[in-house]
Amino acid sequence: MSAAIGARWQWRGADRPLRLALIAGIWILLIVFVLYPLARLFGRAFNEEGVFTFAPFVDALSNPNHLRALRNSLILATLVAAVGTSAGFLFAFTAERTNLAGGIRRLLDFTILLPLISPPFTTSIAFVFSFGPRGLITHDLLGMQDAQVYGWNSTVAAEALTYFPLAFLALRPLIASIGSDLEDAAFSLGGSRWHVFRTVTLPLTLPGLANAFLLLFAASLADFATPLILAGNGLPVLPTDAYLQITGMFDLKGGAVLSLLLLAPAAIVFFAQRHIVGRRNYATITGKAGGRAPHRRIASWLRYALWLACIALAAFIVYLYALLVYASAVVAFGADATPTLSNYRVIFTEGIPAIKDTLIIALICMPLGGVYGIVVGYLVGRMRFAGRQAIEIVSMINYALPGTIVGAAYLIAFNDEPIVLTGTASIIVACYVFRYSPTGIRTTVALLQQVDRSIEEASFSLGAGGLATFWRVILPLILPAFFAGLGAVFIRAMTAITATIFLVSINWTLITVRILENMTELSLGPAAAFSVFVIVVVLAVTSLLDVLLRGMTAPELRPSALET
Amino acid sequence: MPAPTSAGIGLRRVSAGFRHPDGNEVLAVRDIDLDVAPGELLTLLGPSGCGKTTTLRMIAGFQAPSAGQILIGDRDVTHMPANRRDIGFVFQSYALFPHLTVRDNVAYGLRVRRKPAAEIAAAVAAVLTLVGLDGLANRFPSELSGGQQQRVAVARAIVIRPRVLLFDEPLSNLDAKLRTEMRTEIQRLQRTLGITTVYVTHDQEEAMAISDRIAVMNDGRIVQIGTAEALYRRPASTFVAGFLGRANMLPGIVRGSTSGELTLKVAGATMRVACQTAYAPGTRLWVIVRPEKISLAAGGSLPGEIVSRTYLGEKVEYVVRLADQSLSVVRYDPPEEGGFSPGQRVGVTLPSTGVQLLAAG
Repeated sequence: MSAAIGARWQWRGADRPLRLALIAGIWILLIVFVLYPLARLFGRAFNEEGVFTFAPFVDALSNPNHLRALRNSLILATLVAAVGTSAGFLFAFTAERTNLAGGIRRLLDFTILLPLISPPFTTSIAFVFSFGPRGLITHDLLGMQDAQVYGWNSTVAAEALTYFPLAFLALRPLIASIGSDLEDAAFSLGGSRWHVFRTVTLPLTLPGLANAFLLLFAASLADFATPLILAGNGLPVLPTDAYLQITGMFDLKGGAVLSLLLLAPAAIVFFAQRHIVGRRNYATITGKAGGRAPHRRIASWLRYALWLACIALAAFIVYLYALLVYASAVVAFGADATPTLSNYRVIFTEGIPAIKDTLIIALICMPLGGVYGIVVGYLVGRMRFAGRQAIEIVSMINYALPGTIVGAAYLIAFNDEPIVLTGTASIIVACYVFRYSPTGIRTTVALLQQVDRSIEEASFSLGAGGLATFWRVILPLILPAFFAGLGAVFIRAMTAITATIFLVSINWTLITVRILENMTELSLGPAAAFSVFVIVVVLAVTSLLDVLLRGMTAPELRPSALET
Repeated sequence: MPAPTSAGIGLRRVSAGFRHPDGNEVLAVRDIDLDVAPGELLTLLGPSGCGKTTTLRMIAGFQAPSAGQILIGDRDVTHMPANRRDIGFVFQSYALFPHLTVRDNVAYGLRVRRKPAAEIAAAVAAVLTLVGLDGLANRFPSELSGGQQQRVAVARAIVIRPRVLLFDEPLSNLDAKLRTEMRTEIQRLQRTLGITTVYVTHDQEEAMAISDRIAVMNDGRIVQIGTAEALYRRPASTFVAGFLGRANMLPGIVRGSTSGELTLKVAGATMRVACQTAYAPGTRLWVIVRPEKISLAAGGSLPGEIVSRTYLGEKVEYVVRLADQSLSVVRYDPPEEGGFSPGQRVGVTLPSTGVQLLAAG
């Protein structure tokens, strides 16, 4: 009782000036790299000769082309979310409820991992190889001439395949947490299997399904690379339109307005998703039983059907990636199947600047993003101060916004005084750090919730100040979050394109941008080789981080490592 | 290990207030004055929410008093952060650092103080021997039993030789047998080291077993302070009487008073009690009678009836109805034959000494 009262108290500790300096520093960073660019973007979009006006916005909305792009974006996002969530649920349900054999489980885990660590348009490139005019399936297998890969079907399919692992990751713990005793109780009351699934399992999973749907909706809404490669001329969407407006027609203002059209649906989805996750407890009623009884209630025919469906999907993903590797190792995909390393020679000669730039930027981003993530996570998760929640929300903005908005905002904001960063590596680094560190922030907050405050008090009582306590006690305990943050920032710095395509320059370019250029120039071999290279580097670095983390963490802290 | 320079603790009119969400100022601790002598073990005893933990946390420096002054030795530490107060604190949850081994947990305070490595190694080894944890230095806290974790927590707090040792319900997570063992252990260590100690508990038996003095707290105030025996024999209020051990509280009316003796009407019977205070006839008093002071016989002056009998091994507890009162009576070492059974009529004899009288407020 008395401890609960104590918890309301203003914590008094040492190092108050340091804390104030930290908070001030974080605010300065957030203002410069989150709020200021957004303000400039709004300023550019709503400002006509110094006067605030909605006119550009009204113009954009009355332009049938832009309206069509908006409508396409929303329909595409809805379809992708529906298909991707279904696939995610299929995988999650099968993984949790059917006692998968070890081999199949590893195959599923691997196919889930692949899209998460690949550049977002890897699937699209493989789609072209598979279903394009010279596609392995369309041309070689079916003998079709001039097969049309571009359009709705392939865009939806490619985006769904790219983003369904997000749904899987969101749904799996939820399905695992539905206690078998709840289902057993329903069975004991005489329900049939289908009835129990419909009346118990599904309703309990519903908030999770909605959450997954919204995650995928947001991802698809913001996706720029897949439509650029696969949508074709018949399917304009907002992110590609905004990009073409800015880089093709040098119309910054028009691009700003178009990117802001994305803002309303993105914001609605973001807050809806927060709302659902906020009430998450709803589905984690597990009862008291310590060890969960195995779920044995699935009919064997259904189990085999689920396995078959999962394996088919997994095999298709493996096929797509294999195609990519194959395309990278032949002279000309679809025309000359002679094995060659020439594509790799190309990327390691002409491509070296892009590889060097990308690696340098990723390696700079990694520690900055990792440190920023745990510092903000610690401030938000542990300290009490005025404006704590404001920091939490503002630090999430660049993460939640579609990349097109962030990229356009940075382009506008840092192009002229007072802060000129255009053409430098700093603008790309800043974009990645403030856009992709929230993974580290949220993991830090989650880990800190498991650390009782008395652990810190114990350190104070033993004579350590705030800084020493952070260094010796808190930091080791949130180390997994630091590594999760490092991993997330590195993966994104290697693979992202949507925001940074606005920010590359002659001096600093990125592998992903080169892949896109290769695709538009139809040099498919180097594009495939670049993609394979990125995937290999990301796999190597994340494995290395995993090994490092294991080496640096006490045994009992390990299981939770990198799970987020 | 030689006794360190132990310091007394002084609380001067200390209050702890916080603002409730509804806007009112709520006081968890009200205007406390307390002095703990150097080397003394004082227990803060009271029910949940009485302010005992808040008081301890203010001495530690984890919370700031809203008014008053806190002294450790002759230093005013009211505004000094916890890490500079030179205290050792043992938490209810132990609060061991999960990422450090037993050795590193215990060495933590010494490392923070930048002691030489050799000195740290020697001190850690010595204190682990002292608390009986030889050979476990390389274990992680999760690999230890509850009792062993408790010992690590104590070792970690005493190895820095603090001027003051503070315990916050340290035994509440242990099972009954271990609790008894550990409290003897803590008492032994405290005596050996001679460190001034404040110990918080809600367990009156633990408080009585371990303390030099007990401060009983209720509703944010210290209601009585003294040795266990003084508190048990001469509780100053019905609250203390009821909280320390069990007590029958019977309403009585003064009939007459001679020098050193009071005649009272209690439960329809006349009772003579040794008493130095003179009360006017007609005064209403509470008569506090401990269950073990009442005797029962087959026939006696006051007719009562056995309501229930509970056999507890070394003792039997009876509930006896006497006039309109319900009495709790304990008989130790009960014989196998010759007990009383529910419904049976018995003669009750109230004691004339060892009875505490309190003015009925």
